[in-house]
Amino acid sequence: MPARNKYVLLFMLPLIAITSLSFWWLIRDPTQQFELRQPDMDGRKNSGIVREKINIGEFFERFSDKTVSSTENWPRFRGIDFDNICKSEIKLIDRFGPSGPKIVWTKDLGEGHAGPAIYQGAVYVLDYDEEEKAEMLRCFELKTGNELWRRWYGLNLKRNHGMSRTIPAVDEKYILTLGPTSQVMCLDRVSGNLLWSLDFTTEYGTEIPFWYTGQCPLLDGEEAVLAPGGKALLIGVDAQSGEVIWETPNEMGWKMSHSSIMPFVFAGIKMYVYSAIGGVVGVRAEGTRKGEILWQTNEWKHQVVAPSPVCLPDGKIFLAAGYGAGSMVIQLNENNGSFSVDILAEYETKDGLSSEQQTPIYHDGYIYSVLPKDAGPLRNQFVCVDPQNFNQFVWSSGQADRFGLGPYILADDKFFILDDQAVLTIAQVSNNRYIPLDQYKLFDGHDSWGPFALADGLLILRDSKKMMCIDLRT
Amino acid sequence: MERTKPYNRRDFLDGGMRMSLALGLGGVGGLLLSNSTGEDWVWQIDPFKCTQCGRCADECVLTPSAVKCVHAFDLCGYCDLCGGFFLPDANDLNTGAENQLCPTSAIERKYIEEPYFEYVVNEELCIGCSKCVKGCSSFGNGSLHLQIKHDLCKNCNVCAIARLCPSDAIARLPASEPYLVKGDFIESESTRSE
Repeated sequence: MPARNKYVLLFMLPLIAITSLSFWWLIRDPTQQFELRQPDMDGRKNSGIVREKINIGEFFERFSDKTVSSTENWPRFRGIDFDNICKSEIKLIDRFGPSGPKIVWTKDLGEGHAGPAIYQGAVYVLDYDEEEKAEMLRCFELKTGNELWRRWYGLNLKRNHGMSRTIPAVDEKYILTLGPTSQVMCLDRVSGNLLWSLDFTTEYGTEIPFWYTGQCPLLDGEEAVLAPGGKALLIGVDAQSGEVIWETPNEMGWKMSHSSIMPFVFAGIKMYVYSAIGGVVGVRAEGTRKGEILWQTNEWKHQVVAPSPVCLPDGKIFLAAGYGAGSMVIQLNENNGSFSVDILAEYETKDGLSSEQQTPIYHDGYIYSVLPKDAGPLRNQFVCVDPQNFNQFVWSSGQADRFGLGPYILADDKFFILDDQAVLTIAQVSNNRYIPLDQYKLFDGHDSWGPFALADGLLILRDSKKMMCIDLRT
Repeated sequence: MERTKPYNRRDFLDGGMRMSLALGLGGVGGLLLSNSTGEDWVWQIDPFKCTQCGRCADECVLTPSAVKCVHAFDLCGYCDLCGGFFLPDANDLNTGAENQLCPTSAIERKYIEEPYFEYVVNEELCIGCSKCVKGCSSFGNGSLHLQIKHDLCKNCNVCAIARLCPSDAIARLPASEPYLVKGDFIESESTRSE
């Protein structure tokens, strides 16, 4: 072979090979075997649900005309002062003793997490009767647990981590309830007669939160104050007539959360603070401009918000949410009647004070909470922080004392903390260390998450299917 | 008959060697016999001890790991907002890639009826990273959990993951009961107290 041809072969063959490889590399689609992950691959259909007709508060049955009474009340979510602290003079036990506390009565309930309210010796619970398929306000005698009356209406609900989860608001004249699919019912407290009702889904286009409504309604004097989301963020309704007095426009399109409205006075102005899905807002709660937005921020925006805002006297507001959202601390500022908000801290669950379901307790300059499961090494521990630094714990309850999503309350300088399995713990209030006093398993509980109610030394608690009244008096 | 030859050192060593050989052969025989008739042991994860550290995905001698996520359907809440499927604070609750927690899209979400969804693990795609298990344990019923799949596991003498597991969650189990699937297997009191 001539030398020239040799050289041609020597150079041309590799050149052809490299060119072919390059060409193949350029035309090859490396994503050929990729599968797109797009929305709507789960086959979700527009539900097209035909909404059943709901006659709110249609039925009533009275079982007893007995007059009941108590010296103390727990009239709503978080008690008289919205702080979850019982200020009674009644001395409560430090120790359970070998046989545990005295069980006054127990009642079976429909699956749910709705806590009770106590007023004038009566216990009010919004229950769901799974057999009757009915949303039911039940009134029991505090001392005996005997059912006095019930008012209910047909509502077809599917199990969704429980059905009922809101606490009625009760005062001298009214009982106000907000049901799982956002039906409002206002009754005369003494007679149980239905005064008015309101369906948020039809009137305000409310989107029901995951696992049904968790917002506890608020009675403020002669007004029912509620947060429907949808067409109006907050509304004020005349408690006697049911007439809507004011509405806070919802131009932001925020949605109803599981959080409840917290009244707060800052710089001499009374306001309602509400942590919605989409942001947090302060709404004027007095005067002729009631319902006006005083301040708002959409920096606090999470899918599931259950704890209510914790408002501190210096204008700090602590916000927490579950599902890995973490927490935020905002600072309210007032200047000549106008308000602004600064974000002081925003952090992940593991990096500071947080809460998934219950609202922390502010007491004597410190905040107490049970941390969520995703809080790292301190998961499920009861902790204390100084609000000067939400990222540093003053103390935590330690590895041996972990709790769940259950409630806690402060009474007689003691914390009473319930875990998911209905183990009740007593701990001394302290801002320098965790001081456990005693612990007792009340029953074989499951998801004991409903908030407590405490009056006359009688504590009412519940798990997903059972409510119990125990005597904590010494 | 009287022994005429004295029992000397050579006899002692000879006897000793024979005895050692007999014992050695007997021992090896016994061991072989016990191995052929006794129960085998396999490695498995205790889901109640597992802290979802993520090492199972990286430390197994196999790639992808023999550790896979399994789903105890009887414990699942069939939630729309599933902590094992969606990233925390996902933009939207749909199957878009930006919302999914699983890096390999190994969990399939199927609509059943409002408001229920079924979550099925595709074992071929699962790498055992435990991200979904952490999400489900933190925010749900803990129905998603990790197990060593014995059709894949090489059953090494020293399991590479067990050696490094920070929560001592991997131990030997009798091969006749090789899985600790939640629902069937209930958290023991001793485990709970730890």
